[in-house]
Amino acid sequence: MFGTLIRIAWRNLWAHKAKTLVVGIILTMGTILVLLGASLLSTLDTSMSESLIGSIAGHLQVSDANGKDKLVLFPSPVDGTDFGHLDKFKELRSEIEKLPEVEAMIPMGFAFAFVFGGNLLDIKLAEIRKAMVTGLDNLDAKEKRRYTATRDHVKRIVSLLSNDLKNVEAIVNKETADKAMIEGIKDVRIVARDEWWSDFDGSVEKKMEFLENKVARMAIGEDLIPLRYMGTDPHRFAENFSRFEIVEGKMIPKGKRGFLLASWYFEEMVKHKTARRLDKMKDRLADEYTFETDDQLKDMRTKNKRQYKEITYQLDDPAAEQVRKVLQDHLGTKETDLPKLVTSFMDVTEANFAARYKLFYDAIAPHLQLYRIKVGDTITIRGVAKGGYPTSVNVKVYGTFRFKSLEKSAMAGVVNIMDIHSFRELYGHLTADKEAEIKEIRQDSGIDEVNREAAEDALFGGDDADSGVVEKIGEEASAVFDEFAGVDMQAGAADYAKRLENRTYTQDDIDGGIVNNAAIVLTGKEHIWPVKAKIESMAKAKSWPLRVMDWREASGNVGRFIGVIYIVLLVAILGVYGVALFIINNSMVMATMERTREIGTMRAMGAQRRMVLGMFLTESLTLGAVFGAIGSAIGMAIVGYLGSVGIPAVNDILVFLFAGPRLYPALQTWHIAAALALVLLVTTISSLYPAWLAARVQPVEAMSEE
Amino acid sequence: MSDPIVRLQKAQKIYKLGTIEVPALVDIDLDIRSGDFAVVAGPSGSGKTTLLNLIGCVDVATGGKVFVDGNDTGAMTERELTRLRLNRLGFIFQSFNLVAVLDAYQNVEFPLLLQKGIAPSERKDRVNGMLDAVGLGNHGHHRPSELSGGQRQRVAIARALVTRPRIVLADEPTANLDSKTGAQIIELMKELNEKNGTTFIFSTHDHAVMNQAARSIELVDGRIVSDDTVGAAA
Repeated sequence: MFGTLIRIAWRNLWAHKAKTLVVGIILTMGTILVLLGASLLSTLDTSMSESLIGSIAGHLQVSDANGKDKLVLFPSPVDGTDFGHLDKFKELRSEIEKLPEVEAMIPMGFAFAFVFGGNLLDIKLAEIRKAMVTGLDNLDAKEKRRYTATRDHVKRIVSLLSNDLKNVEAIVNKETADKAMIEGIKDVRIVARDEWWSDFDGSVEKKMEFLENKVARMAIGEDLIPLRYMGTDPHRFAENFSRFEIVEGKMIPKGKRGFLLASWYFEEMVKHKTARRLDKMKDRLADEYTFETDDQLKDMRTKNKRQYKEITYQLDDPAAEQVRKVLQDHLGTKETDLPKLVTSFMDVTEANFAARYKLFYDAIAPHLQLYRIKVGDTITIRGVAKGGYPTSVNVKVYGTFRFKSLEKSAMAGVVNIMDIHSFRELYGHLTADKEAEIKEIRQDSGIDEVNREAAEDALFGGDDADSGVVEKIGEEASAVFDEFAGVDMQAGAADYAKRLENRTYTQDDIDGGIVNNAAIVLTGKEHIWPVKAKIESMAKAKSWPLRVMDWREASGNVGRFIGVIYIVLLVAILGVYGVALFIINNSMVMATMERTREIGTMRAMGAQRRMVLGMFLTESLTLGAVFGAIGSAIGMAIVGYLGSVGIPAVNDILVFLFAGPRLYPALQTWHIAAALALVLLVTTISSLYPAWLAARVQPVEAMSEE
Repeated sequence: MSDPIVRLQKAQKIYKLGTIEVPALVDIDLDIRSGDFAVVAGPSGSGKTTLLNLIGCVDVATGGKVFVDGNDTGAMTERELTRLRLNRLGFIFQSFNLVAVLDAYQNVEFPLLLQKGIAPSERKDRVNGMLDAVGLGNHGHHRPSELSGGQRQRVAIARALVTRPRIVLADEPTANLDSKTGAQIIELMKELNEKNGTTFIFSTHDHAVMNQAARSIELVDGRIVSDDTVGAAA
């Protein structure tokens, strides 16, 4: 019987080719969509989880249940970041690491700060100061040349700054603008005049004071580098996050304070902009983009041409002379104007790019400050403590790091790593014993003699503050400075910094303090839910105020990304299948009407109602099976193709989500099963009503004549 | 003499069209014996089709009783009636009513498939046997659209008889055929009646056909006005 039903179904479908084809195309599309979607989503889910688990999130994140905001590892601008803190990390760690599925629990804390990348003017002024220490008259011939070049460079920087400020002046409203700004512009203009420099060497002390105090501040803008960092136990972080690797420099030694710059961030934010653009152009040309067709390439070339100052500004006269010669030779021109030479040098094409790229790094880059922060530098990081007061720490940059296969991802590359002690200091998480320790070091260094209150009293006159005698304050202040001078403050501070840098902390020190949140790395992904439940019940039993989240939840919007794709896909599938449902239902209701007599005849001959029901269901199932199979075949071919060539990650977020530059979707049996099940479900549902109508046809209908 | 295979006792059928009652059959008393070759005649609207429908269990009487092969059809469920039709009755329709997408062989096979439990080899023998019997042994693979009207009705006859029913009901089987073909069809039915002893009841208003019947029942306005071989009717 079933064979005959199939035969009837098949032949009926065949008899209505046009209708079957329309329905079939829709069902095929639906099946392809489901198959592609399922494959894409599950591959993406895997890659995303690899990225997130392997870089920052770990499998689980625990944070303070009483924190004002819920922990978000990748906060969007609207997410609050007051996550609270865990103050018994040591106890938590020892309890949680007892669970057999737990590999490690790593302390963490995220914050945002600024770091001062050496200002060129500051650097040059510091060089002059160094010459002044020797005494301008005591310089040997070589040192003298160096000094002169530096001095003239400063002059040129100021003159360029003055030109820039002219533009600023043109757009600021004189009446409403900040007074200090207007004053500053005036000061810069004074220095930009040649007369000001005529007796520079003679009154170098006075002139330098003016430059340092009045002029340098006007050039400060671009030297503040924004920095997002994570305070952690670097050693254990590196051990447990499989994708972590050092790129340049070395790992922070175990137990030491230190800083690691994310490689991506280092290149993108810290590197000389022109050089960075040349690097990017090189990559893009290697990917076979052309200036003709690619806007990004064109844009980078235009910027490099227009922003020649990024180079010329940094060259003192001897360096400028060398670069000029190199460029004249290379370009084969007699042009002497350096900006013009740089501009035409930067007007690269596919043909000359490789040569010019090489020349840039060989002959120009050595004269430039290629990175504003260098590996080995000690940087000053300025942040805002939890309480709102400004804090700063000095910390040595040991190296740069990246997460394997996420080299090009901004998302993975934007978080830098800092030791937890510096983090706690910046964040204002100072425990009693840490304060004692710092006090001790200060004492040893001889700078603790002036405590803050005493200094403030001395500076602002304590109870006498009301008297408002400015002169007196000045007197007392200079007395304090004298006191500092007596103990050689600079040497003391340097000693303090050195001692902090060299200090080795024990694991107890690291774990003993406050942390903001902690990542838990498990032995396998499958343990996520059970361990989450275990920790939650553990926290309940011990009344720890813990919030436990899986990597997806903790990552915030990034984790929700897959949910968004899922919804988009769902809407598309619902749309296609909604249309399919409607069309199949309609056409089968029509068919029921047309076939009333045939159905009546079958019923008269002794077919039961359920046989008629079965006949219609078989017809729709055949429809579903045939086009489901076609759709699956096409879908499999598409997934197979994509799986071999990969879907390119067109932006940084995608690189991160794809866990690499390309996503290679893979097919699993259940994807096909799901696609087929869904298409069969849809066709079955859409035929239920017409089948029910058909089963209600009375046998007597067979007798009626049309 | 055996019990009648069909017995109607004061059977009536009244159609309701809104509030108006239209009597189609009024107090019909009729016995049909096994092996009868009976024609139900009468003008259009006289109730021929309704009578056949009641006997064929595709419709139920609104009054009186209808017994088919000993079963009181008024007391049976829809499912039981369907089973009775499947196993005891065969139908031949005025418009042949073949399943368009199945070929002649498959059309004849269909009721055997509904019956279930018949071995494929026996099914094949019986279908081929029936096709031979109606003279279409070589047309098994033709679709209805590839057959003439007469051939289609032969297929329909084969289909009606393949289950070896006790009774075959034919509602105006020759109405859509020319007179020569119609005569051949009646001839065929009569032949099968004589050979197998299958009871045939058919309706017609064709006098040539009526003359072929062994028994002629005439209806006018839902009542039997003549029954030329008076049976056991009370």
